[in-house]
Amino acid sequence: MITEIIFYTFSSILICAALGVVFFRNPVYSAVSLILSFITSAFLWFLLESEFLALILILVYVGAVMVLFLFVIMMLNINEQKTNSRFNTIAPLALSIGLVVLIEMITLIWLKSNQFTETAVIISAPSSENNTLELGKLLFSEYIYPFEIAGFILLLGIIISISLTLRTKKGKKTQIISKQIDIDPSKRVQLVDLERGNN
Amino acid sequence: MITLQTYLTLSAILFAIGIIGIIINRKNIIIILMCTELILLAVNFNFVAFSYFNQDYKGQIFVFFILTVAAAEAAIGLAILVALYRNNKSIDVENLTALKE
Repeated sequence: MITEIIFYTFSSILICAALGVVFFRNPVYSAVSLILSFITSAFLWFLLESEFLALILILVYVGAVMVLFLFVIMMLNINEQKTNSRFNTIAPLALSIGLVVLIEMITLIWLKSNQFTETAVIISAPSSENNTLELGKLLFSEYIYPFEIAGFILLLGIIISISLTLRTKKGKKTQIISKQIDIDPSKRVQLVDLERGNN
Repeated sequence: MITLQTYLTLSAILFAIGIIGIIINRKNIIIILMCTELILLAVNFNFVAFSYFNQDYKGQIFVFFILTVAAAEAAIGLAILVALYRNNKSIDVENLTALKE
């Protein structure tokens, strides 16, 4: 009973926050609303006994990605969206497309519900004491290659985002490392043969 | 009693809100990126719910990888956005017609 109350309260908060992301005019409010929706869905993931992922969601998304979003919003100095006719003309189209998508998915989910209930057996006792331990065992044995690829993707993300945003001013005095490496040492030092005892 | 269908319905609602947001916000690429994050959150919700109701940890492994790729995607998207703003002084989608000419 208490689980149902928690679930329905949190899911209504989640839906309201998601609507806030879409309909707030100020992008800062949208970002804060997205933070609220991430935190609420982390709580809902706690209900689904995936504690590790819930904490990762809060740490990575709220702690890193959303702070990045807020930094970019702060840096770009965007004016608030003004209510224009464009927004109003496209809103009915967007709402109808969204409603069609929603109705399709919900009918599919509820019509095929007997297929889910065959496999979906709720086991009251958790299969393991420690969610993190089980995930770690799977991640470092069976999924070790995808894990390394994920690390490589993160490295690529670092390199790409730095190289995209790096800008060098003209006339700025910096080291050019490739030129430094390419230098031929035999051309740099000129050995002069001094004649001895000629003074 | 909360069944799998309830969770799937919640995630479907989130997904639909994300799609509406992408179509409706033509003025601001940042909101579009945020709506992409919302859609990815809905997908992750599906994975976690199936993982719980089937008692299988593989779904959670997938969520782990999706989180990694989504973080990299957000970083690169925001970097592109900063570069774009530097050149265009605007992040309006309707001004991005450089490839049209």
